[in-house]
Amino acid sequence: MHIGQYIPGESIIHRLDPRVKIGSVVVLSILILKGEMLTAATISAFLVALVPVSQIAFYHMARALRPMLFFFVFLFLLHLLFTDGTPIPPFPSWRVTVTYEGLFRGAMTTWQFILLILSASILTMTTSPTELVSGIEKLLRPLKALRIPSHDIAIMISIALRFVPTFLEEIDRIKEAQMARGANFKTGPVIRRVKSAVSLLVPLVLCSLRRADELATAMEARGYRRGSRTYMRELSMVRADYVAVVVMVLMTGLHFFQTHF
Amino acid sequence: MTKEQTLSYGVCKSTEDDNMIKVEGLTFQYDMKEEPVLNQISVDIEAGAYVGVIGSNGCGKTTFVRHLDGLLLPTTGDVWVEGMNTKDPDVVQKIRQMVGMVFQNPENQIVGMSVEEDVSFGPGNLRLLPSEIKKRVEESLELVGMKKYAKRPPHTLSNGEKQLVAIAGVLAMAPKHIVLDEPTAYLDPSGQERILDVINRLNKQGITIIHVTHDMDEVARADEIFVMNEGRIVLKEKPAEVFLRVEWLKELGLGIPKVTELMWQLRNMGRHVRTNVFTLEDACVELGNLLRN
Repeated sequence: MHIGQYIPGESIIHRLDPRVKIGSVVVLSILILKGEMLTAATISAFLVALVPVSQIAFYHMARALRPMLFFFVFLFLLHLLFTDGTPIPPFPSWRVTVTYEGLFRGAMTTWQFILLILSASILTMTTSPTELVSGIEKLLRPLKALRIPSHDIAIMISIALRFVPTFLEEIDRIKEAQMARGANFKTGPVIRRVKSAVSLLVPLVLCSLRRADELATAMEARGYRRGSRTYMRELSMVRADYVAVVVMVLMTGLHFFQTHF
Repeated sequence: MTKEQTLSYGVCKSTEDDNMIKVEGLTFQYDMKEEPVLNQISVDIEAGAYVGVIGSNGCGKTTFVRHLDGLLLPTTGDVWVEGMNTKDPDVVQKIRQMVGMVFQNPENQIVGMSVEEDVSFGPGNLRLLPSEIKKRVEESLELVGMKKYAKRPPHTLSNGEKQLVAIAGVLAMAPKHIVLDEPTAYLDPSGQERILDVINRLNKQGITIIHVTHDMDEVARADEIFVMNEGRIVLKEKPAEVFLRVEWLKELGLGIPKVTELMWQLRNMGRHVRTNVFTLEDACVELGNLLRN
Protein backbone atom coordinates (compact mmCIF):
# COMPACT_ATOMS: atom_id res chain seq x y z
CA MET A 1 0.00 0.00 0.00
CA HIS A 2 1.84 3.06 -1.19
CA ILE A 3 -1.00 5.20 -2.43
CA GLY A 4 -0.68 8.46 -0.58
CA GLN A 5 1.13 6.92 2.37
CA TYR A 6 2.32 9.45 4.92
CA ILE A 7 6.00 10.35 4.59
CA PRO A 8 7.17 12.00 7.83
CA GLY A 9 8.98 15.27 7.35
CA GLU A 10 9.46 18.79 8.64
CA SER A 11 8.66 20.82 5.54
CA ILE A 12 6.43 23.87 5.65
CA ILE A 13 3.70 21.83 3.95
CA HIS A 14 3.99 19.15 6.63
CA ARG A 15 3.50 21.74 9.34
CA LEU A 16 0.46 23.45 7.81
CA ASP A 17 -2.79 23.14 9.70
CA PRO A 18 -4.55 20.00 8.41
CA ARG A 19 -7.78 21.98 8.03
CA VAL A 20 -6.04 24.35 5.64
CA LYS A 21 -4.59 21.45 3.68
CA ILE A 22 -7.91 19.62 3.42
CA GLY A 23 -9.67 22.86 2.45
CA SER A 24 -7.02 23.56 -0.19
CA VAL A 25 -7.44 20.13 -1.74
CA VAL A 26 -11.20 20.68 -1.91
CA VAL A 27 -10.72 24.09 -3.56
CA LEU A 28 -8.13 22.74 -5.99
CA SER A 29 -10.34 19.78 -6.87
CA ILE A 30 -13.25 22.07 -7.71
CA LEU A 31 -10.99 24.29 -9.80
CA ILE A 32 -9.50 21.28 -11.59
CA LEU A 33 -12.89 19.86 -12.46
CA LYS A 34 -14.45 23.18 -13.43
CA GLY A 35 -11.50 24.67 -15.25
CA GLU A 36 -10.29 24.27 -18.80
CA MET A 37 -6.81 24.05 -20.21
CA LEU A 38 -5.49 27.27 -18.80
CA THR A 39 -6.59 26.46 -15.24
CA ALA A 40 -5.23 22.94 -15.53
CA ALA A 41 -1.90 24.33 -16.71
CA THR A 42 -1.77 26.81 -13.84
CA ILE A 43 -2.57 24.14 -11.26
CA SER A 44 -0.04 21.76 -12.82
CA ALA A 45 2.65 24.39 -12.46
CA PHE A 46 1.51 25.05 -8.89
CA LEU A 47 1.60 21.36 -7.90
CA VAL A 48 4.94 20.75 -9.57
CA ALA A 49 6.34 23.69 -7.60
CA LEU A 50 4.76 22.34 -4.41
CA VAL A 51 6.42 18.92 -4.61
CA PRO A 52 9.96 20.13 -3.85
CA VAL A 53 8.62 22.54 -1.21
CA SER A 54 6.99 19.60 0.59
CA GLN A 55 10.27 17.66 0.35
CA ILE A 56 8.65 14.71 -1.34
CA ALA A 57 10.66 12.92 -3.99
CA PHE A 58 9.09 12.96 -7.46
CA TYR A 59 9.27 9.18 -7.63
CA HIS A 60 6.92 8.97 -4.63
CA MET A 61 4.46 11.00 -6.68
CA ALA A 62 4.94 8.73 -9.66
CA ARG A 63 4.33 5.74 -7.42
CA ALA A 64 1.05 7.28 -6.26
CA LEU A 65 -0.09 7.51 -9.88
CA ARG A 66 1.02 4.07 -10.99
CA PRO A 67 -1.87 2.01 -9.61
CA MET A 68 -4.23 4.33 -11.50
CA LEU A 69 -2.52 3.83 -14.88
CA PHE A 70 -5.15 1.41 -16.16
CA PHE A 71 -7.91 3.81 -15.17
CA PHE A 72 -6.20 6.69 -17.00
CA VAL A 73 -5.84 4.65 -20.21
CA PHE A 74 -9.45 3.54 -19.99
CA LEU A 75 -10.64 7.10 -19.43
CA PHE A 76 -8.60 8.36 -22.36
CA LEU A 77 -9.85 5.68 -24.76
CA LEU A 78 -13.44 6.19 -23.68
CA HIS A 79 -13.34 9.84 -24.66
CA LEU A 80 -11.22 9.19 -27.75
CA LEU A 81 -13.65 6.67 -29.21
CA PHE A 82 -17.02 8.03 -28.18
CA THR A 83 -16.83 11.77 -28.81
CA ASP A 84 -18.57 13.18 -31.89
CA GLY A 85 -16.85 15.78 -34.06
CA THR A 86 -14.40 16.17 -36.88
CA PRO A 87 -12.80 12.83 -37.75
CA ILE A 88 -9.05 12.62 -37.81
CA PRO A 89 -8.12 11.71 -41.47
CA PRO A 90 -6.18 8.45 -41.20
CA PHE A 91 -8.73 6.73 -39.03
CA PRO A 92 -12.19 6.89 -40.73
CA SER A 93 -11.61 3.62 -42.54
CA TRP A 94 -11.80 1.78 -39.25
CA ARG A 95 -15.07 0.78 -37.63
CA VAL A 96 -14.63 3.46 -34.99
CA THR A 97 -14.21 7.10 -35.67
CA VAL A 98 -11.56 9.00 -33.84
CA THR A 99 -12.17 12.73 -33.69
CA TYR A 100 -10.08 15.76 -32.89
CA GLU A 101 -12.56 16.61 -30.16
CA GLY A 102 -12.23 13.10 -28.73
CA LEU A 103 -8.48 13.37 -28.66
CA PHE A 104 -8.69 16.71 -26.89
CA ARG A 105 -11.37 15.63 -24.37
CA GLY A 106 -9.57 12.39 -23.60
CA ALA A 107 -6.29 14.14 -22.95
CA MET A 108 -7.99 16.87 -20.93
CA THR A 109 -10.00 14.51 -18.68
CA THR A 110 -7.00 12.29 -18.03
CA TRP A 111 -4.95 15.35 -17.18
CA GLN A 112 -7.64 16.51 -14.75
CA PHE A 113 -7.70 13.16 -12.97
CA ILE A 114 -3.93 13.06 -12.71
CA LEU A 115 -4.06 16.50 -11.09
CA LEU A 116 -6.79 15.40 -8.66
CA ILE A 117 -4.72 12.45 -7.52
CA LEU A 118 -1.54 14.49 -7.28
CA SER A 119 -3.13 17.14 -5.09
CA ALA A 120 -4.74 14.54 -2.82
CA SER A 121 -1.42 12.68 -2.62
CA ILE A 122 0.43 15.80 -1.52
CA LEU A 123 -2.14 16.10 1.28
CA THR A 124 -1.90 12.52 2.49
CA MET A 125 1.88 12.29 2.08
CA THR A 126 2.48 15.37 4.20
CA THR A 127 -0.22 14.84 6.83
CA SER A 128 -0.17 12.06 9.41
CA PRO A 129 -3.42 10.09 9.74
CA THR A 130 -3.86 11.49 13.25
CA GLU A 131 -3.72 15.07 11.97
CA LEU A 132 -5.90 14.22 9.02
CA VAL A 133 -8.60 12.82 11.27
CA SER A 134 -8.44 15.74 13.68
CA GLY A 135 -8.67 18.11 10.68
CA ILE A 136 -11.74 16.33 9.37
CA GLU A 137 -13.25 16.35 12.85
CA LYS A 138 -12.80 20.11 13.23
CA LEU A 139 -14.07 20.86 9.75
CA LEU A 140 -17.20 18.82 10.44
CA ARG A 141 -17.80 20.48 13.82
CA PRO A 142 -20.07 23.25 12.47
CA LEU A 143 -22.31 20.49 11.09
CA LYS A 144 -23.29 19.62 14.65
CA ALA A 145 -26.28 21.88 14.09
CA LEU A 146 -27.43 19.31 11.52
CA ARG A 147 -26.89 16.58 14.13
CA ILE A 148 -23.84 15.24 12.36
CA PRO A 149 -21.65 13.78 15.16
CA SER A 150 -18.18 14.94 14.10
CA HIS A 151 -16.49 13.30 17.13
CA ASP A 152 -17.97 9.92 16.40
CA ILE A 153 -17.08 10.17 12.72
CA ALA A 154 -13.50 11.05 13.64
CA ILE A 155 -13.27 8.08 16.01
CA MET A 156 -14.73 5.79 13.35
CA ILE A 157 -12.20 6.86 10.73
CA SER A 158 -9.34 6.62 13.18
CA ILE A 159 -10.31 3.10 14.33
CA ALA A 160 -10.74 1.97 10.73
CA LEU A 161 -7.25 3.19 9.84
CA ARG A 162 -5.72 1.80 13.03
CA PHE A 163 -7.06 -1.69 12.33
CA VAL A 164 -5.98 -1.96 8.67
CA PRO A 165 -2.59 -3.54 9.52
CA THR A 166 -4.27 -5.79 12.09
CA PHE A 167 -6.65 -7.12 9.45
CA LEU A 168 -3.87 -7.69 6.95
CA GLU A 169 -2.07 -9.77 9.57
CA GLU A 170 -5.27 -11.60 10.36
CA ILE A 171 -5.84 -12.49 6.70
CA ASP A 172 -2.32 -13.92 6.52
CA ARG A 173 -2.94 -15.96 9.64
CA ILE A 174 -6.24 -17.37 8.41
CA LYS A 175 -4.67 -18.11 5.04
CA GLU A 176 -1.80 -19.99 6.65
CA ALA A 177 -4.19 -21.94 8.86
CA GLN A 178 -6.17 -23.01 5.79
CA MET A 179 -3.06 -23.78 3.77
CA ALA A 180 -1.85 -25.98 6.60
CA ARG A 181 -5.01 -28.00 6.07
CA GLY A 182 -4.46 -28.27 2.33
CA ALA A 183 -6.13 -25.19 0.90
CA ASN A 184 -4.57 -23.84 -2.27
CA PHE A 185 -4.72 -20.10 -2.97
CA LYS A 186 -2.02 -19.81 -5.59
CA THR A 187 -2.71 -22.25 -8.42
CA GLY A 188 -5.68 -23.86 -10.14
CA PRO A 189 -8.57 -22.45 -12.14
CA VAL A 190 -9.66 -18.89 -11.39
CA ILE A 191 -13.09 -19.97 -10.12
CA ARG A 192 -11.53 -22.21 -7.51
CA ARG A 193 -9.15 -19.50 -6.39
CA VAL A 194 -12.03 -17.05 -6.04
CA LYS A 195 -13.93 -19.63 -4.00
CA SER A 196 -10.99 -20.17 -1.68
CA ALA A 197 -10.74 -16.41 -1.23
CA VAL A 198 -14.38 -16.42 -0.11
CA SER A 199 -13.48 -19.03 2.48
CA LEU A 200 -11.13 -16.44 3.99
CA LEU A 201 -13.94 -13.96 4.28
CA VAL A 202 -16.15 -15.83 6.72
CA PRO A 203 -13.53 -16.30 9.47
CA LEU A 204 -12.29 -12.76 8.89
CA VAL A 205 -15.76 -11.30 9.43
CA LEU A 206 -16.29 -13.43 12.52
CA CYS A 207 -12.96 -12.35 13.99
CA SER A 208 -13.74 -8.72 13.23
CA LEU A 209 -17.08 -8.90 15.00
CA ARG A 210 -15.42 -10.30 18.09
CA ARG A 211 -12.76 -7.62 17.93
CA ALA A 212 -15.39 -4.91 17.55
CA ASP A 213 -17.21 -6.22 20.60
CA GLU A 214 -14.07 -6.27 22.76
CA LEU A 215 -12.97 -2.87 21.50
CA ALA A 216 -16.36 -1.36 22.30
CA THR A 217 -16.14 -2.71 25.85
CA ALA A 218 -12.62 -1.32 26.25
CA MET A 219 -13.72 2.07 24.93
CA GLU A 220 -16.66 2.16 27.30
CA ALA A 221 -14.35 1.30 30.20
CA ARG A 222 -12.18 4.26 29.26
CA GLY A 223 -15.12 6.61 29.52
CA TYR A 224 -16.11 6.87 25.87
CA ARG A 225 -19.62 8.12 25.31
CA ARG A 226 -21.40 10.00 22.60
CA GLY A 227 -21.01 13.71 22.50
CA SER A 228 -18.07 16.01 22.75
CA ARG A 229 -14.61 15.18 23.95
CA THR A 230 -11.30 16.99 24.02
CA TYR A 231 -8.03 16.26 22.26
CA MET A 232 -4.39 16.38 23.18
CA ARG A 233 -3.63 18.64 20.24
CA GLU A 234 -5.85 21.59 19.54
CA LEU A 235 -5.24 23.01 16.09
CA SER A 236 -4.26 26.62 15.73
CA MET A 237 -3.62 28.65 12.60
CA VAL A 238 -0.25 30.35 12.27
CA ARG A 239 1.05 32.76 9.65
CA ALA A 240 1.96 30.07 7.13
CA ASP A 241 -1.63 28.82 7.29
CA TYR A 242 -3.05 32.26 6.48
CA VAL A 243 -0.57 32.56 3.63
CA ALA A 244 -1.83 29.22 2.29
CA VAL A 245 -5.43 30.43 2.52
CA VAL A 246 -4.48 33.59 0.60
CA VAL A 247 -2.76 31.48 -2.06
CA MET A 248 -5.94 29.45 -2.48
CA VAL A 249 -8.04 32.60 -2.80
CA LEU A 250 -5.60 33.89 -5.42
CA MET A 251 -5.80 30.61 -7.34
CA THR A 252 -9.59 30.86 -7.36
CA GLY A 253 -9.41 34.50 -8.47
CA LEU A 254 -7.01 33.57 -11.24
CA HIS A 255 -9.39 30.87 -12.41
CA PHE A 256 -12.26 33.35 -12.64
CA PHE A 257 -10.04 35.83 -14.44
CA GLN A 258 -8.94 33.19 -16.93
CA THR A 259 -12.46 31.95 -17.67
CA HIS A 260 -14.25 35.28 -17.82
CA PHE A 261 -11.82 37.62 -19.53
CA MET B 1 -35.35 1.30 38.54
CA THR B 2 -37.54 1.98 41.54
CA LYS B 3 -37.61 5.27 43.35
CA GLU B 4 -36.27 3.72 46.52
CA GLN B 5 -33.15 2.49 44.74
CA THR B 6 -32.53 5.89 43.26
CA LEU B 7 -32.67 7.36 46.74
CA SER B 8 -30.35 4.82 48.24
CA TYR B 9 -27.27 5.97 46.34
CA GLY B 10 -28.06 9.57 46.97
CA VAL B 11 -27.60 8.86 50.65
CA CYS B 12 -24.04 9.34 51.81
CA LYS B 13 -22.70 6.13 53.24
CA SER B 14 -20.54 6.08 56.34
CA THR B 15 -17.06 7.51 55.89
CA GLU B 16 -15.19 4.24 56.25
CA ASP B 17 -16.66 3.09 52.92
CA ASP B 18 -15.33 6.13 51.19
CA ASN B 19 -12.13 4.66 49.85
CA MET B 20 -13.11 1.13 49.20
CA ILE B 21 -14.90 -0.93 46.66
CA LYS B 22 -17.82 -2.65 48.32
CA VAL B 23 -19.73 -5.50 46.72
CA GLU B 24 -22.99 -6.44 48.43
CA GLY B 25 -24.99 -9.52 47.50
CA LEU B 26 -24.03 -9.29 43.84
CA THR B 27 -25.95 -11.73 41.68
CA PHE B 28 -25.81 -11.59 37.91
CA GLN B 29 -27.79 -13.46 35.29
CA TYR B 30 -27.67 -12.99 31.53
CA ASP B 31 -30.95 -14.80 31.29
CA MET B 32 -33.51 -15.26 34.05
CA LYS B 33 -34.14 -18.84 32.98
CA GLU B 34 -30.52 -19.83 33.35
CA GLU B 35 -28.31 -20.34 36.36
CA PRO B 36 -26.81 -17.11 37.66
CA VAL B 37 -23.26 -16.43 36.43
CA LEU B 38 -22.49 -14.73 39.73
CA ASN B 39 -24.19 -15.84 42.91
CA GLN B 40 -24.46 -13.70 46.05
CA ILE B 41 -20.98 -12.22 46.05
CA SER B 42 -20.17 -9.91 48.96
CA VAL B 43 -16.65 -8.59 49.41
CA ASP B 44 -14.85 -5.42 50.41
CA ILE B 45 -11.72 -4.34 48.62
CA GLU B 46 -9.64 -1.90 50.65
CA ALA B 47 -8.06 1.04 48.89
CA GLY B 48 -4.41 0.36 48.10
CA ALA B 49 -4.72 -3.41 48.45
CA TYR B 50 -3.39 -5.94 45.97
CA VAL B 51 -6.10 -8.51 45.37
CA GLY B 52 -5.66 -11.58 43.21
CA VAL B 53 -8.76 -13.16 41.71
CA ILE B 54 -8.24 -16.77 40.70
CA GLY B 55 -10.50 -19.50 39.42
CA SER B 56 -10.76 -21.93 36.54
CA ASN B 57 -12.16 -20.92 33.14
CA GLY B 58 -15.82 -19.98 33.14
CA CYS B 59 -16.07 -19.49 36.91
CA GLY B 60 -17.21 -15.88 36.48
CA LYS B 61 -13.96 -13.99 37.15
CA THR B 62 -14.33 -11.69 34.16
CA THR B 63 -18.04 -11.16 34.77
CA PHE B 64 -17.25 -10.28 38.38
CA VAL B 65 -14.58 -7.68 37.66
CA ARG B 66 -16.66 -6.09 34.91
CA HIS B 67 -19.11 -5.11 37.63
CA LEU B 68 -16.46 -3.08 39.41
CA ASP B 69 -16.59 -0.17 36.96
CA GLY B 70 -20.19 -0.51 35.86
CA LEU B 71 -19.54 -2.25 32.52
CA LEU B 72 -22.05 -4.79 33.79
CA LEU B 73 -24.76 -4.00 36.31
CA PRO B 74 -25.90 -6.43 39.03
CA THR B 75 -29.18 -8.26 38.50
CA THR B 76 -29.60 -8.00 42.26
CA GLY B 77 -27.27 -6.54 44.85
CA ASP B 78 -25.05 -3.49 44.62
CA VAL B 79 -21.51 -2.48 43.83
CA TRP B 80 -20.24 0.66 45.56
CA VAL B 81 -17.08 2.43 44.50
CA GLU B 82 -16.05 4.90 47.17
CA GLY B 83 -19.63 5.34 48.18
CA MET B 84 -20.99 5.61 44.62
CA ASN B 85 -23.36 3.00 43.24
CA THR B 86 -22.49 1.70 39.77
CA LYS B 87 -26.21 1.65 38.99
CA ASP B 88 -26.37 5.44 39.17
CA PRO B 89 -25.97 6.73 35.59
CA ASP B 90 -24.89 10.14 36.90
CA VAL B 91 -21.73 8.82 38.55
CA VAL B 92 -20.79 6.07 36.13
CA GLN B 93 -18.30 8.31 34.30
CA LYS B 94 -16.68 9.22 37.62
CA ILE B 95 -16.50 5.53 38.55
CA ARG B 96 -14.86 4.67 35.23
CA GLN B 97 -12.30 7.39 35.84
CA MET B 98 -11.56 5.97 39.30
CA VAL B 99 -11.53 2.30 38.34
CA GLY B 100 -9.25 1.63 35.37
CA MET B 101 -9.66 -1.59 33.41
CA VAL B 102 -6.98 -3.46 31.48
CA PHE B 103 -8.19 -6.33 29.32
CA GLN B 104 -6.77 -9.64 28.21
CA ASN B 105 -6.22 -9.01 24.52
CA PRO B 106 -3.77 -6.15 24.02
CA GLU B 107 -4.75 -5.69 20.38
CA ASN B 108 -8.43 -5.10 20.99
CA GLN B 109 -8.16 -2.28 23.49
CA ILE B 110 -6.00 0.12 21.52
CA VAL B 111 -8.01 2.77 19.75
CA GLY B 112 -5.46 5.33 18.60
CA MET B 113 -3.39 5.44 15.44
CA SER B 114 -0.32 6.19 17.53
CA VAL B 115 0.75 5.31 21.06
CA GLU B 116 0.32 8.83 22.43
CA GLU B 117 -3.02 9.28 20.71
CA ASP B 118 -4.25 6.09 22.29
CA VAL B 119 -3.12 7.13 25.76
CA SER B 120 -4.88 10.47 25.26
CA PHE B 121 -8.19 8.72 24.53
CA GLY B 122 -9.29 8.33 28.17
CA PRO B 123 -8.42 11.86 29.34
CA GLY B 124 -10.04 13.18 26.16
CA ASN B 125 -13.24 11.41 27.14
CA LEU B 126 -12.98 13.11 30.53
CA ARG B 127 -12.86 16.41 28.60
CA LEU B 128 -9.63 17.61 30.12
CA LEU B 129 -7.73 20.56 28.70
CA PRO B 130 -5.18 19.80 25.95
CA SER B 131 -2.26 20.91 28.14
CA GLU B 132 -3.38 18.59 30.95
CA ILE B 133 -3.88 15.68 28.53
CA LYS B 134 -0.39 16.20 27.13
CA LYS B 135 1.10 16.21 30.63
CA ARG B 136 -0.72 13.04 31.63
CA VAL B 137 0.18 11.23 28.41
CA GLU B 138 3.86 11.99 28.92
CA GLU B 139 3.86 11.03 32.58
CA SER B 140 2.00 7.77 32.17
CA LEU B 141 4.11 6.67 29.19
CA GLU B 142 7.20 7.49 31.26
CA LEU B 143 5.87 5.42 34.16
CA VAL B 144 5.45 2.28 32.05
CA GLY B 145 8.72 2.92 30.22
CA MET B 146 7.16 3.51 26.80
CA LYS B 147 7.94 7.18 26.33
CA LYS B 148 10.24 6.71 23.39
CA TYR B 149 7.47 4.87 21.53
CA ALA B 150 5.03 7.80 21.76
CA LYS B 151 4.78 8.39 18.01
CA ARG B 152 4.78 4.74 16.95
CA PRO B 153 1.71 3.18 15.34
CA PRO B 154 0.39 0.36 17.55
CA HIS B 155 0.87 -2.43 15.00
CA THR B 156 4.64 -2.03 15.24
CA LEU B 157 4.64 -2.94 18.95
CA SER B 158 4.95 -6.36 20.56
CA ASN B 159 2.04 -7.69 22.60
CA GLY B 160 3.86 -6.85 25.82
CA GLU B 161 4.43 -3.29 24.66
CA LYS B 162 0.80 -2.96 23.60
CA GLN B 163 -0.29 -4.09 27.06
CA LEU B 164 2.02 -1.47 28.63
CA VAL B 165 0.38 1.15 26.40
CA ALA B 166 -3.02 -0.07 27.57
CA ILE B 167 -1.90 0.37 31.19
CA ALA B 168 -0.59 3.86 30.37
CA GLY B 169 -3.96 4.64 28.78
CA VAL B 170 -5.66 3.71 32.06
CA LEU B 171 -3.10 5.62 34.18
CA ALA B 172 -3.71 8.78 32.17
CA MET B 173 -7.20 8.84 33.65
CA ALA B 174 -5.66 9.07 37.15
CA PRO B 175 -7.43 6.01 38.59
CA LYS B 176 -7.29 4.97 42.24
CA HIS B 177 -8.04 1.35 41.47
CA ILE B 178 -6.93 -0.73 38.48
CA VAL B 179 -8.53 -3.99 37.42
CA LEU B 180 -6.39 -6.22 35.22
CA ASP B 181 -8.23 -9.10 33.59
CA GLU B 182 -5.62 -11.74 32.73
CA PRO B 183 -3.24 -9.07 31.47
CA THR B 184 -0.43 -11.49 30.64
CA ALA B 185 -2.42 -14.16 28.79
CA TYR B 186 -1.13 -13.12 25.35
CA LEU B 187 2.41 -12.25 26.39
CA ASP B 188 5.79 -13.92 26.21
CA PRO B 189 7.78 -14.33 29.46
CA SER B 190 9.67 -11.05 29.12
CA GLY B 191 6.43 -9.17 28.40
CA GLN B 192 4.85 -10.87 31.39
CA GLU B 193 7.71 -9.80 33.62
CA ARG B 194 7.48 -6.17 32.53
CA ILE B 195 3.74 -6.09 33.21
CA LEU B 196 4.11 -7.67 36.66
CA ASP B 197 6.87 -5.21 37.49
CA VAL B 198 4.66 -2.25 36.52
CA ILE B 199 1.73 -3.70 38.52
CA ASN B 200 3.91 -3.98 41.63
CA ARG B 201 5.20 -0.44 41.21
CA LEU B 202 1.71 0.96 40.83
CA ASN B 203 0.55 -0.88 43.93
CA LYS B 204 3.48 0.57 45.91
CA GLN B 205 2.29 4.02 44.85
CA GLY B 206 -0.99 3.31 46.57
CA ILE B 207 -3.14 2.22 43.62
CA THR B 208 -5.49 -0.67 44.37
CA ILE B 209 -4.75 -3.63 42.11
CA ILE B 210 -7.35 -6.26 41.29
CA HIS B 211 -5.51 -8.86 39.29
CA VAL B 212 -7.42 -11.69 37.61
CA THR B 213 -5.30 -14.62 36.53
CA HIS B 214 -5.00 -18.36 36.54
CA ASP B 215 -1.27 -18.27 36.97
CA MET B 216 -0.68 -18.78 40.69
CA ASP B 217 2.87 -17.44 40.50
CA GLU B 218 1.51 -14.06 39.44
CA VAL B 219 -0.57 -13.49 42.55
CA ALA B 220 1.90 -14.87 45.09
CA ARG B 221 2.68 -11.26 46.06
CA ALA B 222 -0.96 -10.26 46.51
CA ASP B 223 -2.27 -9.12 49.92
CA GLU B 224 -5.37 -11.20 49.51
CA ILE B 225 -6.66 -13.79 47.08
CA PHE B 226 -10.27 -14.35 46.08
CA VAL B 227 -10.80 -17.91 44.91
CA MET B 228 -13.83 -18.17 42.64
CA ASN B 229 -15.80 -21.25 41.71
CA GLU B 230 -19.13 -21.51 39.88
CA GLY B 231 -20.03 -17.87 40.33
CA ARG B 232 -19.14 -17.61 44.00
CA ILE B 233 -16.15 -16.42 45.94
CA VAL B 234 -15.39 -19.59 47.87
CA LEU B 235 -12.31 -18.36 49.72
CA LYS B 236 -10.86 -14.98 50.70
CA GLU B 237 -7.46 -15.39 52.30
CA LYS B 238 -3.85 -14.36 52.25
CA PRO B 239 -1.79 -16.26 49.64
CA ALA B 240 -0.07 -18.25 52.43
CA GLU B 241 -3.43 -19.62 53.59
CA VAL B 242 -4.74 -20.27 50.10
CA PHE B 243 -1.71 -22.17 48.87
CA LEU B 244 -1.79 -24.51 51.89
CA ARG B 245 -4.91 -26.12 50.45
CA VAL B 246 -3.14 -27.93 47.66
CA GLU B 247 -5.63 -30.76 47.17
CA TRP B 248 -8.64 -28.47 47.33
CA LEU B 249 -7.16 -26.12 44.74
CA LYS B 250 -6.51 -29.08 42.46
CA GLU B 251 -10.15 -30.12 42.76
CA LEU B 252 -11.11 -26.63 41.57
CA GLY B 253 -8.85 -27.06 38.57
CA LEU B 254 -6.25 -24.72 40.01
CA GLY B 255 -2.63 -25.22 40.97
CA ILE B 256 -0.17 -23.66 43.35
CA PRO B 257 2.96 -21.64 42.54
CA LYS B 258 5.65 -23.85 41.04
CA VAL B 259 8.12 -23.14 43.82
CA THR B 260 5.50 -24.10 46.44
CA GLU B 261 4.91 -27.33 44.56
CA LEU B 262 8.65 -27.97 44.63
CA MET B 263 8.68 -27.49 48.42
CA TRP B 264 5.81 -29.95 48.84
CA GLN B 265 7.67 -32.51 46.74
CA LEU B 266 10.78 -32.07 48.89
CA ARG B 267 8.68 -32.39 52.03
CA ASN B 268 7.12 -35.60 50.68
CA MET B 269 10.62 -36.91 50.09
CA GLY B 270 11.29 -36.44 53.77
CA ARG B 271 13.22 -33.17 53.64
CA HIS B 272 12.65 -30.56 56.28
CA VAL B 273 11.57 -27.49 54.28
CA ARG B 274 8.90 -24.90 54.80
CA THR B 275 5.99 -25.26 52.37
CA ASN B 276 4.75 -21.68 52.75
CA VAL B 277 7.17 -20.50 50.08
CA PHE B 278 5.56 -18.71 47.15
CA THR B 279 8.19 -16.61 45.46
CA LEU B 280 11.44 -17.48 43.77
CA GLU B 281 13.42 -15.35 46.25
CA ASP B 282 11.98 -17.21 49.27
CA ALA B 283 12.59 -20.52 47.57
CA CYS B 284 16.26 -19.64 47.03
CA VAL B 285 16.66 -18.86 50.72
CA GLU B 286 14.92 -22.08 51.73
CA LEU B 287 16.93 -24.24 49.36
CA GLY B 288 20.10 -22.52 50.53
CA ASN B 289 19.26 -23.52 54.10
CA LEU B 290 18.53 -27.07 53.02
CA LEU B 291 21.88 -27.39 51.26
CA ARG B 292 23.75 -25.98 54.22
CA ASN B 293 22.19 -28.50 56.61
